[in-house]
Amino acid sequence: MLLIHCPYCEQDLPELEFAYAGEAHIARPADPSKLTDEEWRDFLFIRTNPRGVHFERWRHINGCARFFNAARETVSDRFLLTYKAGEPRPDVAKLTGVAQ
Amino acid sequence: MTSNRLPNRGRVDHGKPVRFTFDGKALQGLAGDTLASALLANGIHLMGRSFKYHRPRGVVSAGSDEPNALMGTRRGAGQFEPNTRATIQELRDGLEATSQNRWPGLGFDVGAVNDHLGSLFSAGFYYKTFMWPRAFWDRVYEPVIRGAAGLGVSPTESDADSYASRFAHTDVLIIGAGPAGLAAALAAGRSGAAVMLVDETAEPGGSLLSEPDVVIDGKPAWDWLAATLAELAALPNVTILTRTTAIGYYHQNMIGLAQRLTDHLDTVPAGAPRERMWKVRANQVVLTQGALEKPLVFDGNDRPGVMLAGAAQTYLNRYGVKVGDRPVIVTSHDSAWYTAFDLAEAGAKPVAIVDVRTDVAGALTDRAREHGIETLIGRTVTGTSGRLRVSSIRVNRVENGKATTPRDIACDTVLMCGGWTPCLHLFSHTKGSLAWDDELKAFLPGHRTEAVHIAGAGRGLWGIASVLADGAAAGTQAALDAGRDATEHAHTVEADRPGTGITVKELPTDRDPGKAKAFIDFQNDVTAKDIRLAVREGMRSIEHVKRYTTNGMATDQGKMSNINGLMIASDALGKAPPQVGLTTFRPPYTPTTFGTFAGYHKDATFELTRKTPIDPWAEAHGAAFEPVALWRRAWYFPKPGEDMHAAVRRECQATRASVGMFDASTLGKIEVAGPDAVTFMERMYTNPWAKLGVGRSRYGLLLGEDGFIRDDGVIGRLGPDLFHVTTTTGGAARVLNMMEDYLQTEWPDLQVWLTSTTEQWATVALQGPNARKLLEPFVEGLDITAEAFPHMAAAECTVAGFPARLFRVSFTGELGFEVNVPARHGLALWEKLWEAGQQYDVCAYGTETMHVLRAEKGYIVVGQDTDGTLTPADAGLTWAIGKKKPDFVGKRSLSRPDMVAPGRKQLVGLLTDDPTVVLQEGAQIVADPNQPKPMKMLGHVTSSYWSDAVGRSIAMAVITDGHAREGETLYIPMPHHILTAKVVKNTVFYDPENTRLSA
Amino acid sequence: MNAMSPLAAGVTITELAPTVRIALRLADISTAPGLALPVKVGERSAEGGRTVLCLGPDEWLIEAPEAGRDALFAALGAISVPHSAVEVSDREITLELEGPAVLTLLASGCPRDLARMPTGSGARTVFDSAQVVVTREAEDRFHLTIWRSFAPHVRAILDLATRELAAGL
Repeated sequence: MLLIHCPYCEQDLPELEFAYAGEAHIARPADPSKLTDEEWRDFLFIRTNPRGVHFERWRHINGCARFFNAARETVSDRFLLTYKAGEPRPDVAKLTGVAQ
Repeated sequence: MTSNRLPNRGRVDHGKPVRFTFDGKALQGLAGDTLASALLANGIHLMGRSFKYHRPRGVVSAGSDEPNALMGTRRGAGQFEPNTRATIQELRDGLEATSQNRWPGLGFDVGAVNDHLGSLFSAGFYYKTFMWPRAFWDRVYEPVIRGAAGLGVSPTESDADSYASRFAHTDVLIIGAGPAGLAAALAAGRSGAAVMLVDETAEPGGSLLSEPDVVIDGKPAWDWLAATLAELAALPNVTILTRTTAIGYYHQNMIGLAQRLTDHLDTVPAGAPRERMWKVRANQVVLTQGALEKPLVFDGNDRPGVMLAGAAQTYLNRYGVKVGDRPVIVTSHDSAWYTAFDLAEAGAKPVAIVDVRTDVAGALTDRAREHGIETLIGRTVTGTSGRLRVSSIRVNRVENGKATTPRDIACDTVLMCGGWTPCLHLFSHTKGSLAWDDELKAFLPGHRTEAVHIAGAGRGLWGIASVLADGAAAGTQAALDAGRDATEHAHTVEADRPGTGITVKELPTDRDPGKAKAFIDFQNDVTAKDIRLAVREGMRSIEHVKRYTTNGMATDQGKMSNINGLMIASDALGKAPPQVGLTTFRPPYTPTTFGTFAGYHKDATFELTRKTPIDPWAEAHGAAFEPVALWRRAWYFPKPGEDMHAAVRRECQATRASVGMFDASTLGKIEVAGPDAVTFMERMYTNPWAKLGVGRSRYGLLLGEDGFIRDDGVIGRLGPDLFHVTTTTGGAARVLNMMEDYLQTEWPDLQVWLTSTTEQWATVALQGPNARKLLEPFVEGLDITAEAFPHMAAAECTVAGFPARLFRVSFTGELGFEVNVPARHGLALWEKLWEAGQQYDVCAYGTETMHVLRAEKGYIVVGQDTDGTLTPADAGLTWAIGKKKPDFVGKRSLSRPDMVAPGRKQLVGLLTDDPTVVLQEGAQIVADPNQPKPMKMLGHVTSSYWSDAVGRSIAMAVITDGHAREGETLYIPMPHHILTAKVVKNTVFYDPENTRLSA
Repeated sequence: MNAMSPLAAGVTITELAPTVRIALRLADISTAPGLALPVKVGERSAEGGRTVLCLGPDEWLIEAPEAGRDALFAALGAISVPHSAVEVSDREITLELEGPAVLTLLASGCPRDLARMPTGSGARTVFDSAQVVVTREAEDRFHLTIWRSFAPHVRAILDLATRELAAGL
């Protein structure tokens, strides 16, 4: 069971309070009708699934109820950092530097 | 029977006899004994039969690594446990223990024939033997193997005990209360840090309990131990848990601890759980788990009476039991020499110390001579004899690595020591790396991934002095790392027993090694030659060798066997051990009961069960219940003598004839409020909402972004900026989560807020032609006549004196209302309506009748008639899509090529040719019943009921291209016959003009 | 380590009478001057029998005695900007847990380190499989506010754990 830092509660809290919510930084297109079938398919189904740093969404569902973003190392299953929804994607190189 | 108990020795209570039975025979031990020590005290070494060859086996160890002495233990009804390790189970009054893997008895066992057929049962036996003929797989091999397989006997009664669990948070968790752990606890405890010190045995002390002669800080070991425990007990920040095994080490210093609370007690206090699972989050972890002694690998090393030297020392000093009178010690490590000395001083007559090393410290050989023990240095052991107990050992000289002149030495026990393996199982759970130490021939902790400190024998140190110093340093560092001020305290040690040793492969022999039964893994009956065979047959990785031979795959996870197996595999492969590798240790560290994992989730608290405010009425009126999501819902209300079918027919008839009452409280309810509520609803649901008037409601359909149906429900507009959304019972939490997701992350600019009100409201549905007549007298502040309050009207009012939200809505096709009142009034409202309804022969109906009534109207149930792959068009719900809306969740997906291509499964009605036949829900549908198997399946029946209203059976099904099959006859193959049915596109089977609900 | 004393004396569990409860959602707290909304998640204000617990960045749980209903609704009515104030008085049941072993009892199902929760604060978290709002009313007194249908399960586990504590092991 992981400890997850909620950027809204500003505390490290048990994973049981959280729910995973898929890959982060995939914005719903403002006007989906403008997308080709292929573009829409990619939006719906294509995910990066990296070996390494993964940007993903979590929800503090049994807490402050906020969705937020996290950078997690998928090999070690360690969070590098968490940040509020809407904030820009952090620099991977800097993150892995932090992790070391 | 001889008694091997030594008076006034050990930590057992010589004044407290404890009675127990073994295989039905009444025996006596002492308070403080384990089952194993009590049996040994009674002269019993033979404690079980091995798993594969059914060889007679004695106890090998004195700890949780025991592979042989596994027994069934029983306290009473529902309190039987197989595979209890006799070395861990403490003696208690009335304990019933039975040996395993034998028939008819432990002394004579028919299965032992396997032992004589041993050459047939070599490594990979199963893979090679049961290949053909194919027809034998299921009918012959599988039942025979299953019958013979398995360790112990599964309990046949449900578990009568209760179990517990607990979360805990601490600064420093120390695992293992031997000298290193105690020193660490002192250091960390004195700093003021919150400390948990856990040990898997009944009392702290570890190796000190087996080495009473060492002097620490000027005190004899046991006095030092008592003083240390007293100091720790006086520290309010220190908690000591005994009988507590750290079973798993998870991310970020989360440790699972299995605490055994009652198995050692003569009588169990009321309400006491048998075991408790602790889930501990520690800032720092200190692993002081010590080292595990390895056996030596030689022919006959598994004969009863052959055991680990360290275990013999523990039985002697901790339990006051002399395991034999004339032991021979066979060792590759100095530690076993002290076992010989302790035994000699306790009155046994060790016959000889056989050391496989060529060079042994003079101090040891001198002391052996003083005790009159023969020392045989640089020798090998090539066999043992004795039927149910070892009676002699065959020792050979070694010249140029080859065994030469043999000599038989009579003995009654063989005490072996093949060195010590640092216990790093938990460290391995963290994916910390292990580094091979070629001098110690052991893996030591390498790179750490957690805030963990390893101290003592667990990192290859030996001797009390070095282990204490290391533990104190680790405890100090852990406290510092946890943010405390800590200073290290030194300990002085006298009469220490430092030592060294080597690790070897199987001992050289002058006999045919192919016939030697030199065991590595006692529990799985794996021998040295099995490992070599595996390598000869092409296994290169230790992971393959492990699976081919099953070495290390028993419940002890190879605690004794891994390194011996590795040494032999690496020799056979001609590679250094680290190149061959070590198999992965996984939680749990030792076998753990299911009860410990279940914790409180047993019987009434097995699973969370939600009940509505009206549930007590349903229970009092004899309802049968069914689970729907986490809810238990009234399923039907049988009258005396009625089965489900009869009750549902009656409920359906009564509702359509007059009025029925239904508890709809479980429907999910979400308050959508804010100036952008309409915009939000427009974006979420397929339907148009902008023009829905206040006081009106509408069926809402929710898709996923992929275009598939996710949920539906009636949604009322109670104000310009306020919607009362209902969801399916099972979908409530999911829908709210999905809405919050879009709101928070896609449209944070919208001023709208969502609040779950599922449990704020209790909901009573009144359905049937007399529904209005029944309800009208209770309603204040609202005209509910057909004109003033038409179908799909919604309003806030007072009902029966309670504030209410009233919806005119129908899931039955009848005139209907749903009354929502604050939950605390739900039962009172129901009872008032029930009482008043008697004049109309009101009928309470359950979910089954609800399903029949809705199916008669062709209303779908999301999750029953849809399965996450149906679009609105597939389900015949295109009417629910706002055609002019530029966008809503899932809209773009509805025009994807696959969504409009032919061949989609579509929802249709299905009418059986024989109107009395009710199809089975889930039954598969085919176009041609005579095609060869496996048949091409077109789809399946989703809903199927007998309908009195229609006068025949009705069904819905999802079928490939179903909408184009109007009138087509399809087939439903059943086990013994084939049913036929015709497709109807229109699933409204009853009152297609909707005259009834508009009444 | 005060959460772990196995021999601590009992804990009494009492179901409290209903109060007026409002789930308030609001973007800007300066617009609700009459409600003393705390800013940080977990903080709670208490004034004249009314408490306001900040559950999330824009979410508050307000509790008031029935006698304070009108005053509360007046204060809510005075909020000058768009917001959502939903009465949820019947949605939840509140259990009061009091006694020296209360932290141990709560540790039977709550994964949070409640020893670190300051008196007068609270949080939404989980107990076993149920979502709960925990508030610390005093050193050894907590309130658990639980959705109505989840409350019996939570209560049943608390009762099992109480028996376990009484057994003293």
